[in-house]
Amino acid sequence: MRMCVSVLIHIYDESLPSEGQKLSTPLAAILALTEMMEQSNAGTMFELLTELKGAAEALSRQSLNPIGLKAGCELFIEFITLFPHDAASFSELKTELIRQGQHYAEQALAYRAKIAELAFDFIKDDSVILTHSYSRVVLQTLLLAHKRKRISGEISGSNATCEYFSSHVLCFSVFVTEARPRGMGIKTAEMLTAAGIPCTVVLDSAVAYAIDKVDFVLMGSEAVVESGGLVNAVGSNQIAIIAKAANKPFYALAESYKFHRMFPLSQYDLPSHNPGVLSFPQTMSARARPASSGLPSKASSVLFDNGSPIRMTQEDIARNNPDVDYTRPDLISLVFSDVGSLTPEGVSQYLVGMFAG
Amino acid sequence: MASDPQSAANQRIVEDLVSRLRRRQLVGSRATALETLLVLRQVVSKARFSNIDQLVNIIRSVGRRLVDAQPKEHSVGNTVRKVLHHIREEYHTANEQPAVESSFSIAKFVLQGQPRKQATIPSSETRVPLKENDPDDPDSFARVLKPVLMEAIQDVFDELETVYDNISKNAKDHIHSDEIILTLGMSKTVDFFLKAAAHYRNYTVIVAETAPFYGGREMAKSLSSAGISTFLVPDSSIYALMSRVNKVILGAHAILANGGMFATSGSLLAATAARSYSTPVVVCAGQFKLTPLWNLYHEYGALDFGDPSAVLGFDEGDLVDKVDVVNPYYDYVRPELLDVFITNYGDHPPSSIYRLLKETYDDEDNEL
Amino acid sequence: MPVPEPESASAESQSLTKAQKKAEGRARQEQQRAAKAAQKQQQQSGQNAGPSSNKSKGSTVQKKPALESNKIPSAAASSSKDAPTTREGAVGADGLSDGPKSRGLRIFSHFGLPKTPGHQIKGDIHPAIVKLGLQFSEFKICGANARCIATLTAFKTVIQDYVTPPHNTLSRHLMTHLSPQITHLVTARPMSVTMGNAIRQLKLEISGSDIDLPEQDAKDALCQEIDNYIRDRIIIADEVIEDLAVKKIKDGDVVLTYARSSLVEKILLRAHSLNKRFSVMVIDSRPLLEGKTLLHSLTSVIPPIPCTYALLPALPSLITDADIVLLGAHSLHANGSVYSRAGTAMVAMLAKEHSVPVMLCCETYKFSETVMLDGFGKNELGLLSINYFFALLFADAVCNQTAPMKFSLGASNSNLEVLNPLYDSTPASCITAVVTEVGLIPPTSISSIPLALGRTTL
Repeated sequence: MRMCVSVLIHIYDESLPSEGQKLSTPLAAILALTEMMEQSNAGTMFELLTELKGAAEALSRQSLNPIGLKAGCELFIEFITLFPHDAASFSELKTELIRQGQHYAEQALAYRAKIAELAFDFIKDDSVILTHSYSRVVLQTLLLAHKRKRISGEISGSNATCEYFSSHVLCFSVFVTEARPRGMGIKTAEMLTAAGIPCTVVLDSAVAYAIDKVDFVLMGSEAVVESGGLVNAVGSNQIAIIAKAANKPFYALAESYKFHRMFPLSQYDLPSHNPGVLSFPQTMSARARPASSGLPSKASSVLFDNGSPIRMTQEDIARNNPDVDYTRPDLISLVFSDVGSLTPEGVSQYLVGMFAG
Repeated sequence: MASDPQSAANQRIVEDLVSRLRRRQLVGSRATALETLLVLRQVVSKARFSNIDQLVNIIRSVGRRLVDAQPKEHSVGNTVRKVLHHIREEYHTANEQPAVESSFSIAKFVLQGQPRKQATIPSSETRVPLKENDPDDPDSFARVLKPVLMEAIQDVFDELETVYDNISKNAKDHIHSDEIILTLGMSKTVDFFLKAAAHYRNYTVIVAETAPFYGGREMAKSLSSAGISTFLVPDSSIYALMSRVNKVILGAHAILANGGMFATSGSLLAATAARSYSTPVVVCAGQFKLTPLWNLYHEYGALDFGDPSAVLGFDEGDLVDKVDVVNPYYDYVRPELLDVFITNYGDHPPSSIYRLLKETYDDEDNEL
Repeated sequence: MPVPEPESASAESQSLTKAQKKAEGRARQEQQRAAKAAQKQQQQSGQNAGPSSNKSKGSTVQKKPALESNKIPSAAASSSKDAPTTREGAVGADGLSDGPKSRGLRIFSHFGLPKTPGHQIKGDIHPAIVKLGLQFSEFKICGANARCIATLTAFKTVIQDYVTPPHNTLSRHLMTHLSPQITHLVTARPMSVTMGNAIRQLKLEISGSDIDLPEQDAKDALCQEIDNYIRDRIIIADEVIEDLAVKKIKDGDVVLTYARSSLVEKILLRAHSLNKRFSVMVIDSRPLLEGKTLLHSLTSVIPPIPCTYALLPALPSLITDADIVLLGAHSLHANGSVYSRAGTAMVAMLAKEHSVPVMLCCETYKFSETVMLDGFGKNELGLLSINYFFALLFADAVCNQTAPMKFSLGASNSNLEVLNPLYDSTPASCITAVVTEVGLIPPTSISSIPLALGRTTL
């Protein structure tokens, strides 16, 4: 078992989305689990399931942000549990399950295109879109829209009557948030600009300033949870709140393997939350307290005089800040997924179908 | 197949409806739905097919032609979808075999949820065997299935016939004595609903006249002639009167998958004004208005514009040339602004419309 | 229950026509009416001394007409009379229940009733005022500014033609002479806040005029004061407001406005004369369809201002393209709510929803110290004949399909009534800024501007 897990982690890391690769965390997890099944020598269904669950545990322990990963594992394990087995022998069943897992991972690669297709309808000419951080599905959607619009623009451009279009070959533009601390938004911006889509990076703190120019928000996701809410790179929640306040539609894009059976009640109910996040530095208060017993006003000045000026690096700040946050369902207009465009309420219908039927 | 006389006859019926839709000679969602159904019945009865796919394709192609003729009249597409749904259902029951249960995969698992323990009791009654693609007798499939299909279409027909009665069945539970109701435009559904309530309750209706088509005037006339105390007001006074209104009752043009709706322009104003006074907004609509679509037009409701001369007549002289006139038919009303849909199959909050859609239509028909 | 009436009535009159209270004739009239109404109410409260549950509703019904009684005495008296009687199911067929008015929904009874043009002339009314009354009641002169200027101009004539009777002084007697004139105008159409404010100012000037001054000099001085008032509070104020508002219109902007405000019209024309490139969306609605007048003046300049015209229901489709909304006002109230042409509130509401800034253009003399909670407590009904006049004008091109609707509407059956409220009240939350001659201010802080309170003169 021990050995299995180390192999597993290795496999997972390999299939993980390194730069440029197309596999997302839940799919990588599913692939890793199938790989593990192949190497496992479990003799019964029960043993296999225990092993899988252990492996899933181990995977999520070593991951900093286990939410997407957990969604994949959960889906696969639930599937295996419920798989109607009329296979003759257990090894045959196992082979079938492995085949299923691999098949799904392959199949699921096409989901983004499917989602892009759905979301494409919503991108009207001249629309201004706000997106956050880096999301492959958002990127794919935008690129698809750009490609199509350019073609249709050229067609109408060739038509003499449609001079308007010929001058507007580029039909939509994008605001991308910088997405501190990792600055993934810049990557999005680079890729969009390279494709010829007009694109501007906005500061995370400038979203409220920009929102009135925006037609709608397009957001990727780490996971879509049972409430219909969204777990995504930190900052998504505040964008959703701003969009709501400005009455702008907020669309989330999520492949169905990101549907996660989890019900966060608040930001601090997320599994990624730990006491270190947003903690106040101990040293400050500890140092300040003994001094403040005498003259509180003097104490602070002493602190400034004595110590070297306090420097805060981006890394320091990032260290006790969250990676992801949770967006309430009432802030989300629609969730585009490969199973269709869903209202947030519609998402939970699928989750219930899988896990609570 | 195109050459045989029966399909030519079909073609003619379809083309006739297409041209009437295109010229807007046929208006009103229910009337359109009824006409569509008549055409479909005709088409099915005359069509030749030897398996289910052929039949579905025939209906779909007819549906596409009709929808293209008037894309804003959603009830056409909805009727086609509903008929397709019923046909598949009939086919599956006639075919005895439960719906496709061949392979189980993760994708299917996500889509359909946990595998059901299908308690398929092999029916004891001996049916006429349903043979698809019988090379000897290609019509046998159609012969067996047609009577059931006709019945299924008749069911849809009956539903449309009784739609107003069923919507207004519970009208008295929604309108109470001495209430003041605000409505606008001319909606037959709302008209029926209010009149049904008037049998039991004594209440007042304020009707906004809904410029520039002034459907409200017609509505006010109809309601008052049924003995309901009616006030006709200009659209501009909706906000001023809203503080005394107990309920806003609206009709819908199409109910969308997210629980929003397209409705006569003016509806959004009324719904927004209602929201600022926390007045409930009730929508009365038959289920044939359920449309598996989303509002793709973020603001312009359905992007359908009426005759500008209705707004600024030619009697205004040179003004007409100098001024752009905008006269949209419909508003898109967001689901947050609506409280309940009263349909012929019960009352539903906007958030459960997507579920209703899943039950009413098959997913694969969303795009005809 | 009858207690609140005299109190609330006097509270109302304090702000509007304090001077009138000195006027004997008017006071007597008031007293008689109050007594009459009180008598009725006493009878009625004697009748339903029993269950207080349905009385609570009754009292709210009666208070509102009482509030109005000062302005439209006959209407209020009639409504406070037949409201209780119909409520009690008693025989309510006294002479006042004329026509359809008696069967209207009781909650509408406090709205000012539309006057029939050519109403009776009581007492010694100056011909200028008679003419003005007709113009008011026929909506020939319409709009808060226009009505105020017309009233003051007419009063100038009245004052010039006035001769102080022997054994009297101008400062004491002139107001007595003016009171019936005011009453006449009020019976023609409920008084606007602007008129009220101006008359209050005039009354101050009259009572403060020097007794020793020769009569002609005193009259000239008063006329000069009136001219000053018009100049300072309206004309110059408008110019300052134009300057301020024009700065907020930028090249390429789409300006949306509702109906027609004389001030907004001036602002737009000024912006045009400054060579600003902008376009205008005019939203309009029945009953008055004043937007067409605006449209005419905007398109008759050279080059014409690009305009889009739409009726109110089409607003949601247009508001997203607007960069700024300019609105006019009838009056601005202490709680920041704006009493303006019916429909204004919805334009402001939708603009707020789409975060389009709403600028309300309003001179400080339109301020009223009263508080307005909704557009229902105080309103005025448009004249039916006027409405139909417009409906006809408007409907002919349109309503060929609905042609039989027009006149037969009201007459055809007794359950149908046509109401044309002229005003509504926009909550302060929907207004981004009020442009006044003292600068841009938030709507709620109008009451902190001394000028608006009439405590300083320019």
